[in-house]
Amino acid sequence: MKARIHSLCVWLVVTLFMLPIIWMFGTAFKSPGEILNSGANLIPKHISFSSFEALWQGNLTTLVGNTLFISISSTAVSVAVAFCAAYALVRYDFPAKLDNVFLLAVLIIKMMPPIVIAIPLYSLMNQVGLLNTKLGLVLAYQVYTLPFCIWMLLGFVRDVPLEIEEASAMDGAHLSKRLFYIVLPLCAPGLVATSIFAMILGWNEFLFSLLFIHTPNNFTLPLLIANFMTEDGTAWGELMAVGIISSLPMLVLAGYMQRYLLRGFSMGLK
Amino acid sequence: MLYENRKQLIALLLPAIVVLGLLTVYPIVSVVYNAFGEVDHASKNYTFVGLSNFKVLFEDFFFISAIKNTVLFTLVASFSQVLLGLWLALLFNRQFSGRRFALPMIIYPMMISTLVCSAIWKSWYHYDSGLLNTVLVAVGLPAQEWLFNPDLALYSIVLVDTWQWTPMAFLIILAGLQSIPKDIVEAAMVDGAKGWNSFLHITLPLIQKQVMLAFLLRSIDTFKLFDKVYVMTGGGPGNSTETLSMFVYKYGFRFFDLGMASASALVMLVISLLMTLLYAHKTMKGDK
Repeated sequence: MKARIHSLCVWLVVTLFMLPIIWMFGTAFKSPGEILNSGANLIPKHISFSSFEALWQGNLTTLVGNTLFISISSTAVSVAVAFCAAYALVRYDFPAKLDNVFLLAVLIIKMMPPIVIAIPLYSLMNQVGLLNTKLGLVLAYQVYTLPFCIWMLLGFVRDVPLEIEEASAMDGAHLSKRLFYIVLPLCAPGLVATSIFAMILGWNEFLFSLLFIHTPNNFTLPLLIANFMTEDGTAWGELMAVGIISSLPMLVLAGYMQRYLLRGFSMGLK
Repeated sequence: MLYENRKQLIALLLPAIVVLGLLTVYPIVSVVYNAFGEVDHASKNYTFVGLSNFKVLFEDFFFISAIKNTVLFTLVASFSQVLLGLWLALLFNRQFSGRRFALPMIIYPMMISTLVCSAIWKSWYHYDSGLLNTVLVAVGLPAQEWLFNPDLALYSIVLVDTWQWTPMAFLIILAGLQSIPKDIVEAAMVDGAKGWNSFLHITLPLIQKQVMLAFLLRSIDTFKLFDKVYVMTGGGPGNSTETLSMFVYKYGFRFFDLGMASASALVMLVISLLMTLLYAHKTMKGDK
């Protein structure tokens, strides 16, 4: 009996927690009239796809493409660079504890408010002509994704047993061969988890895209959401439809990512 | 055994150093440089002005109020998230039916983007048609100006942040709870420790480290607050929700005052640096 009350209590809390997300789904499938009259209802009386249709008329597919391109490219760069760095930090002998100094510097960058470096970064992008380009954003996102990937991959590379690598080194395998054929496959689950997290970082990022992107055709999804929110007479139905589209990848992945979340969101904490 | 080939080491680390150096270290140096100088708009000439930017800054009413808002937000939001997270973790530390499905659900809010969170809540806060006022009026309470009442707006944003990030405090503390050996709790039960007493004297001291780290991590993060304020209130009403990030943004990208923007950015950097060092001191000890 006591156990049943406990599980009832927990599920009540979980439902309460999920309410905003449930409401988002409900509202996206309401007709504009229903939103106006009964916007607070969780479940739509009649399912209507008009919000999604209205979005489809706009440049939604371009923006989804932009956001995908930017988050995938910045992740690819970060994971490649971070994998080499993490391997060096785990396996090599550093003079004067420089490895700890480097790791601390990376942590400081990860924890720093991004607005701190926004102005010089803006001038830098302007000087090299990357302002208002997707490539510029791919570079700017390294500020978030690279420190994250270095810290995250560090733990996974540490778990690779040294003996296997040493055996192949005896057989004459060079560094690049060992990295590609031994360390990389053994780290594969870690690399996948790290990549997904880095992609989510890029997919959700707002500040740098707000500052560096000006042309609507180069917008990312968070910028589209911000535009919807700041204009007069917000179209809530369409806004929630964009919300669903931009949340879908994460909602699908949440179950899989669950066991890596602790590692991912709390730098250095195991 | 560690490898000692320096050439390989440098080759492996160089890409990371180049990327981070160019995109973060160079901008930080540039912020420090500009914080102590003044740049003429027309001629782009730089003159060193010492601490004068900081003097103006710390006499500026809006800067002081931005500091107050940010500190208030950081403390209230982090504290609520850790407290709620602790409570949730205690609930989840026991087996119950469907726990497997409940766990991913509870972490949904921190997986979806801050912009989506803000959008949902901004609609809930709507005066006429928002869900919160509809509920309040239905139970006979007065409707609230959630985002337009200067005394309430900051706490409305605290509520959004708490909804989004309590799951993170929850995960950290849950991991702590699950690492407590079963026999300790059982031994305490045999000794007659029960309920609140057993929690206060046995469980809490054992997860003290996780609770503190969750608080520190949330503080470092809430201190950055920008996105929610930008899209929900724009810093208003008045300047009641203007945070340090908003202050830097306004001076840098709206008023184009490089000196003031850099000086305030440097203040932020120093505060975040201190918190990070504290965090590193608590976690990196004995690592490697």
